[in-house]
Amino acid sequence: MDLETFPWLTTVILFPLLASLAIPLLPDENGKTVRWYALIVGLIDFVLIVVAFALNYDFSQSGLQLVETYTWVPQLDLKWSLGVDGLSMPLVLLTGFITTLATLAAWPVTLKPKLFYFLLLAMYSGQIGVFAVQDLLLFFLFWELELIPVYLLLSIWGGKKRLYAATKFILYTAGGSLFILVAALAMAFYGDAVSFDMGLLAEKAYPLRLQLLLYLAFLVAYAVKLPIIPLHTWLPDAHGEATAPVHMLLAGILLKMGGYALIRMNFGMLPDAHAYFAPILVILGCVNIVYAALTSFAQRNLKRKIAYSSISHMGFVLIGIASFTNLGLSGAMLQMVSHGLIGASLFFLVGATYDRTHTLVLEEMGGVGKKMPKIFAMFTTCSLASLALPGMSGFVAELMVFVGFATSDAYSFTFRLIAVLFMAIGVILTPIYLLSMLREIFYGPENKALVEHEVLVDAEPREVFIIACLLVPIIGFGFYPKLLTQIYDATTQSLNFRLNQVFVASQKTGEGSIPVAALPVLKAPAISQ
Amino acid sequence: MMESIDLLYQYAWLVPVLPLVGAAIVGVGLISYSQTTSKLRQPAAVLIVSLTGAAMVLSFLFFWSQVQGHPTYTSMFEWAAAGDFHLEMGYTVDHLAALMLVVVTTVAFLVMIYTHGYMAHDPGYVRFYAYLSLFSSSMLGLVISPNLLQVYVFWELVGMCSYLLIGFWYNRKAAAEACQKAFVTNRVGDFGLLLGMLALFWATGSFDFQVMGDRLTNLVNTGGLAPTLAAVFAVLVFLGPVAKSAQFPLHVWLPDAMEGPTPISALIHAATMVAAGVFLVARMYPVFEPIPAVMTVIAWTGAFTALMGATIAITQNDIKKGLAFSTMSQLGYMVMAMGVGAYSAGLFHLMTHAYFKAMLFLGSGSVIHGMEAVVGHDPVLAQDMRLMGGLRKYMPITALTFLIGTLAICGIPPFAGFWSKDEILSSTFAVNPALWAIGWLTAGITAFYMFRMYFSTFEGSFRGNDQATRRQLKQAHLQRLGLSLGPGAMNPQELTLDSEDDHSGDSHHGHEPHESPLAMTFPLLVLAVPSVLIGLLGTPFANFFEAFIHPGGVAEELEAFDWSEFTLMAGSSVAIATVGIVLAVLMYRTRVIDAGAIASKIPFLYNVSLHKWYVDDLYEVVFVQGSRRLAKQVLNIDIRIVDGLVNFTGFVTLITGEGLKYLENGRAQFYALIVFGAVLGLVLLSGIT
Repeated sequence: MDLETFPWLTTVILFPLLASLAIPLLPDENGKTVRWYALIVGLIDFVLIVVAFALNYDFSQSGLQLVETYTWVPQLDLKWSLGVDGLSMPLVLLTGFITTLATLAAWPVTLKPKLFYFLLLAMYSGQIGVFAVQDLLLFFLFWELELIPVYLLLSIWGGKKRLYAATKFILYTAGGSLFILVAALAMAFYGDAVSFDMGLLAEKAYPLRLQLLLYLAFLVAYAVKLPIIPLHTWLPDAHGEATAPVHMLLAGILLKMGGYALIRMNFGMLPDAHAYFAPILVILGCVNIVYAALTSFAQRNLKRKIAYSSISHMGFVLIGIASFTNLGLSGAMLQMVSHGLIGASLFFLVGATYDRTHTLVLEEMGGVGKKMPKIFAMFTTCSLASLALPGMSGFVAELMVFVGFATSDAYSFTFRLIAVLFMAIGVILTPIYLLSMLREIFYGPENKALVEHEVLVDAEPREVFIIACLLVPIIGFGFYPKLLTQIYDATTQSLNFRLNQVFVASQKTGEGSIPVAALPVLKAPAISQ
Repeated sequence: MMESIDLLYQYAWLVPVLPLVGAAIVGVGLISYSQTTSKLRQPAAVLIVSLTGAAMVLSFLFFWSQVQGHPTYTSMFEWAAAGDFHLEMGYTVDHLAALMLVVVTTVAFLVMIYTHGYMAHDPGYVRFYAYLSLFSSSMLGLVISPNLLQVYVFWELVGMCSYLLIGFWYNRKAAAEACQKAFVTNRVGDFGLLLGMLALFWATGSFDFQVMGDRLTNLVNTGGLAPTLAAVFAVLVFLGPVAKSAQFPLHVWLPDAMEGPTPISALIHAATMVAAGVFLVARMYPVFEPIPAVMTVIAWTGAFTALMGATIAITQNDIKKGLAFSTMSQLGYMVMAMGVGAYSAGLFHLMTHAYFKAMLFLGSGSVIHGMEAVVGHDPVLAQDMRLMGGLRKYMPITALTFLIGTLAICGIPPFAGFWSKDEILSSTFAVNPALWAIGWLTAGITAFYMFRMYFSTFEGSFRGNDQATRRQLKQAHLQRLGLSLGPGAMNPQELTLDSEDDHSGDSHHGHEPHESPLAMTFPLLVLAVPSVLIGLLGTPFANFFEAFIHPGGVAEELEAFDWSEFTLMAGSSVAIATVGIVLAVLMYRTRVIDAGAIASKIPFLYNVSLHKWYVDDLYEVVFVQGSRRLAKQVLNIDIRIVDGLVNFTGFVTLITGEGLKYLENGRAQFYALIVFGAVLGLVLLSGIT
């Protein structure tokens, strides 16, 4: 076996799926064997991912690595085409990490364990596939494939309104992904050669009108996933009903697909249109940050509160993508990984708290810190991470977006000023809702009704272990962000370089279309590169 | 020798890292083996105190080497990078940093020893040490930060430690609210700091203090940047210190922060963290100094805060709240000094104040500790001066050190506060007599309220066993809670139930307060030494301090010392202090004048002072309730309109689906045709145009 030509990515994607097929055959009465099985499969796959990257991934290269291409349907030029670059690689790692931890987090699941773990492993494959495929049609297939397990996980193991939430989720995202299909077909059939290869599609020169339409179609699809207000309302419902492990996957990985695809397709393949849409993304990002922070503050349901906080944090991703600077784009990537870790940890803790209090309404809690000091400590740490405390990854990400956007040459001073002001208001609002939440759950005198009816036991070692695993990278990236940024820096730089070239060129020629500089907020850039 | 010192500088990062290691070890122990670690009180405390002690020894070495004239040492590494953009972090040891290192480590070390006595019976003893150590680490990291970005990082971290420590007794409702208030108020200040920092970076391309200042001045001079804009940027940065150093209008968190354990009030909320604002202004001098408008804003903010804090402190009955307002007022002096260009005077006062105010707070902690033996562990009773009196008899060491601290803060020569405050006042007079007048008046009020505090606590007869007063205080407290929560917000029965619990505990207590253990009196005695003597470093006739600290390390020609001017300035400030003291003696010692009668004659002024100028009430209505209402409305929009629209669409689809289902014939070709048609249309549409 040759380590360089070994099909690492195919193995990594297919292994959990194939392993999950064996689950029905497992001799298992009470669900204890199957959970160990799933955990070990997850762990092996994560180790495979790490080994694959450790052996074959070179940080200094910006292009695709570990490329594999097998023709699948030659008539359509559909290829099983895989590869990772700086955008995919950290997210694939994140997926393996979070999914494995989610399997561990699912330990207490007793209802239909075989089906549950089967779906979890199927999702493992689907998620990695989304980040690793380099064929647009295949991307669409994986994108759809991963919806089914989520739908089932929501509708079988969810809360009281689980069917409503699951249906809303599937309608929203399936509706959104229709736009991907249409746009993908349009891109593939444009020009002479029919191809779905992302690299080729990015090279095609589309007319501006078509680019704008395609951009809009992609944007709608990814806006649902990320989510961008006003296409976000599936998320509080889905999060409000999901169980902790599904939560971790939703917040940790699924939302990141939206951000990833925005960078990969909208940013990378349609740079001309991006120059037009960027100011809109900034505005949407500001709305996300402030609007979702306010709704989170007013929410009385714990899960929904954290769900809205996720929306708020995704606003920074949007602004980073639209900043036209290396630093901003790098910050957006970092924010995705960072929120993947922090969001997963917070949702896990919410689940752990719910397991004990059996209520999510803040009024019915209060003073539980005394009985559960460890959960209190972990919840405080993760909330501080979420409100971007320095020393944790969230701070670095938001700071990079802030500095990147503030120093961007592409926007006029006034526009930047107003946008930064809104982002900074988010910085004030975030601690308000997070610390209020902590105060209402843990601080103050004990809620007598709760203490009498529920057994409030402190965190068990498994739970401490999960949070510790998540905190190590959170704090590690916070202390020394280069650990993470060096992985994708070459890729984001080259992407951004290309975008800025296009941007500058469109300023100069502006042939046959509205020159970008005519947009009120954009100005002629003085990009030194 | 020089070589070994150079080697030592390479390891200067150990100063903040040592306490961090202690905090990490104990913290990990608490999370993984909480039962065992909580029981290992002695080892945990010894570990953390000795690590802080080691940091202190290192700090003294650096200080000594800086006094010897060692050049500034800076070490940087690349922290984050994106393309050609680099952010650097590192550490710098210069005169200012060395001074701050010594101040922070000494106070932290003594407070940690004190904690052993004060928290002896607290179940959270070990956790408290871990937090203390974490705070020391962040604070030390702050003072050796070489650029504004790193200051911001540690600035937030000390804020977090403050949050954790104010909320240390988390089952107390007041503490829970106070810690959140402190964090959020500081975030408002940081909002300004962040914006200002970004703006300055945008304008100058650097986070380095000196570079930022030089380039900004250059830009303004060459017309590259409007002077107003530069001033706005600088004022935004100044908002950070306004919050951290409890300056008006962001001072509201500091008095509430007294809900934390007293060692914290001494370390964080008197000596070190709150002084970080003044420290940052000092660091930002290259930016602030060339912009007169900013200096004026700084000076007036400080002067106003000094006066405001002092006027509120007059009527406070909670000994810690009184000291908190005094801290706010003294910080106002420092900020004012910075604003009038008296750089070294401001920092000198920072140092002297750190020592004597830490001592005063620790003294108040000792008093509370003694009072708890009589009234029980109830902050409402144990901290109220109306229940104290005559404590000098029972706790002589505490009384003596408290008196020294009081004399120092009042500015009586030769105690430390005299020299530093006098230097501020005389520098202010040279710049703006109106500011001087405010400072001078404040000095008088300070002397009055501090002696009021001293007399009510230590002189006269002990009132702690007066059941009527106790009941009255308890009643007033419950009423206040009820009012501030609004009617029906809390079950009144719960409140009375709690208070009954407290009373039942009283039977175990004695009827006489006692002197605190050695662990608590020792730090008091040690702190008394600098409180008396350290002022002599900065006398106007031989100002070693100014020569050491002056910006850029360039000792300018000291102005020729003028005896007549000194006598005039010092005489006037001692005179007003004496007036204040005499008034306090008459009202609270000999009781010739009845304080209550005066208060009832001027009810308006009395109430303004008692209710802290109604600032809290105003903020409650405007910001707290305002933001809640706004958030509720936004959520309503989200549920009713945005989500409502979605559900409506779903409803419409359902209806139309019912109609359309007759079109469905189940043939795949038909669906493919529709998709194909759509794509064709799209391509044609864009291809034609």
